[in-house]
Amino acid sequence: MSRAQECAIVGGGLAGLVGYATLRHRGLTSAEVAVFGTDADPARQWSVRAAAIRQRHMRSESDGHCAPRSFPGLAFRASLRRKSPIPLVQSWLDCYHPTVGEFLEHVEEVRAESGWDESFRRGRVRRISAADGAFQLDDLGRFRHVLVATGHPGLSVPPELQDEPRAVHAYEPHDYAEHVEIVGAGMAAATEWLNALGAGADVISVRRREPERRPLNLPRQLFTRRGLAAFHSTREGERQALLRGWSTPSYPAGRTWDEPVERARKAGRFRVAAGLNGADQVICATGFKCGYEHDPLLAGLVADHGLPTAGSWIVLEADSTVGSLTDGERTLSIAGVAGQWAFPAADTLMGAKYAARGFLRRVEACRSR
Amino acid sequence: MSFTLKGRIESRLAAALAPLLAACGLAAAATEWWPLALAGTMIGVGLVFEVFLDRRLDYQPGWWSLPLAVAELAAIMGIVYALGISAPLLVALAFFAGSWLLNLVLMHAVFPYVRLSYGEEGGELGRAGVAIAVLVLASLALFAGVALAMQPPTVRLSAGIHNGPLVLDQAQTLVGEPGAVVRGGIVITADNVTVRGVTVVGGESGIEVDGAHNVTLERVQISGALLDGIHVRRSSVRIRDCLVHSPAGQYGQGIDISFAFDLAPSLVEGCTVMGGREGIVTHFAMAHVEDNRVVGTTLRGLTLTEMSMAVVEGNRVENALGVGIYCGDYSECEIDDNSVRDIRSDGASGDLTRMGFGIVAHSGAKAEISDNSVSGVTASTKAFLGARITGE
Repeated sequence: MSRAQECAIVGGGLAGLVGYATLRHRGLTSAEVAVFGTDADPARQWSVRAAAIRQRHMRSESDGHCAPRSFPGLAFRASLRRKSPIPLVQSWLDCYHPTVGEFLEHVEEVRAESGWDESFRRGRVRRISAADGAFQLDDLGRFRHVLVATGHPGLSVPPELQDEPRAVHAYEPHDYAEHVEIVGAGMAAATEWLNALGAGADVISVRRREPERRPLNLPRQLFTRRGLAAFHSTREGERQALLRGWSTPSYPAGRTWDEPVERARKAGRFRVAAGLNGADQVICATGFKCGYEHDPLLAGLVADHGLPTAGSWIVLEADSTVGSLTDGERTLSIAGVAGQWAFPAADTLMGAKYAARGFLRRVEACRSR
Repeated sequence: MSFTLKGRIESRLAAALAPLLAACGLAAAATEWWPLALAGTMIGVGLVFEVFLDRRLDYQPGWWSLPLAVAELAAIMGIVYALGISAPLLVALAFFAGSWLLNLVLMHAVFPYVRLSYGEEGGELGRAGVAIAVLVLASLALFAGVALAMQPPTVRLSAGIHNGPLVLDQAQTLVGEPGAVVRGGIVITADNVTVRGVTVVGGESGIEVDGAHNVTLERVQISGALLDGIHVRRSSVRIRDCLVHSPAGQYGQGIDISFAFDLAPSLVEGCTVMGGREGIVTHFAMAHVEDNRVVGTTLRGLTLTEMSMAVVEGNRVENALGVGIYCGDYSECEIDDNSVRDIRSDGASGDLTRMGFGIVAHSGAKAEISDNSVSGVTASTKAFLGARITGE
């Protein structure tokens, strides 16, 4: 049997990049870390979706970046680049949101500085098998420590719209018809309301739940130990209920969002409806499929190793590791949306960092290093 | 940021380390305790704020640091004033501002840079944070212990009459119990002496302070002294809430602070002086004379002279002969918010500068005055011999 290599990151997206940069920052060489993905550009998937909804600014703030250290954040970098204190002041006032362009530029910097391309191997991992103190990834090799960062398992389209020719998902490239129904009430939906109104369309917002208005995906304390400690102390049923509750659609408060909608409402160009009523175009701003069972790799991992699950979530330790497959010699961690059991905002950059740092601590503590 | 309570405390104490070291250096250089007392107050107030905020805030936006700093500063200065910590105001403000800025830089840049998980751990600093917190708290406890151990002893003067003069030539706090009277005066020649709640009758001077620093006289009552009620030479004193009554001699003053220009400013506050030639007088000294009442003097009510620098504020001068407030002989005086009334003309002296004036500047002195109330006088203000009064 071949000797196990050190680390593998399964998934070549933003969460993978965060994990990779974190490992490299703490001294692992590019030869010690292999990244498996389908595209060498870690921002490719994300930027296609951002472009589809014409996203201009990030919802995240200065800390929403891919670099291993929290400081300098994007506001500080922007201040240096623009030679202006304004981004820093905005950040101080909690109203700094980097542009998508700035963010992508930053991703490129991290990609280059971390040596991502040296470790990147094109290929989709279909199966992870635990064996002999390591993990076998298809026939790609054995690795002692594996960070799974496979991202969202696919776009979610309501069943009744799956064969509907008028329907398009918000995250797929599209233009706007004269009369548009936008299904959903989260950040993508709110962005699409403004896009469609800006394009001159009449908009019907089709929603089953009223959105919450909050600056980030989740209440801020859930991004730090302050909120996480209580979350981690919950029992299984309670934690599922919390996660379901936090899945309520939301988008930030503010005039930027409200004024165009209010103007259109007064002009009769925007209204809310509970169901579809035959507009020219239906845009599904309904996010992504939820649950590990939609991800073949994770579903196989659960089935092969009998991993504990709770509803649609894989049960993880507080540091995002899979407890039954992690010990003093090997580590299996899950980053990205599938890591919500450990970090409710796992599908954010902060969530990716949380998982990456937990993974790093395990790797550094590994007896074989 | 969403701090945990542990994170708040560790971050606060870690950020306090450098100011505490600076305070140690300052205390050593100045051979004074106030820098450490100030730093200790800042740290204590900061910790109380952190506990208070932790219970009320799940998330603390960055901009909150500004109003919180103002509130903290107000609390700190209130405590500094209440405890009588003798920190110079500007130095205290600069120390606070520097510490606050350092705190901001550390918490927003240095700690997140040095510690990868600083933010997600709610400001906690791991083992280093605990070690630094213990170090800072232990240092504070040590300093407080040493400061307490070095406090001068307290001597209680029982009720009844004690024959003087009492000579205080060692640092101490002399506290008179109700009814404690010293007949024949008190002489203070040691630094760090406090006399509180004692009645003094007779003596050459009621209380004489000679060559001593950091002397405090509180709630002393003096009567029947042959010369001055309180006689201060080459010393810095704080005199609060005293009563000086009717010096017995023809040439006695109520309170005389002289020849201390190179020493820390003296303070006379909340005293009542009745009779004597001059109620409160400084020669070649720096002084704050505030909120006193001076009645029935035979030369001048308040006198700041011989190149003194003085702030005279909120005093009431009544029924003086000749002059109410006098700034003379190249002194510089700031005279604000005083009440001067019923100043009688001293025609018998034949001295044209004593004809019942409210405020007089004399011999090259500069008096800057504002918001004084002057009544029952020949003239509110007069300047003589190259002296100048501004701000009328």
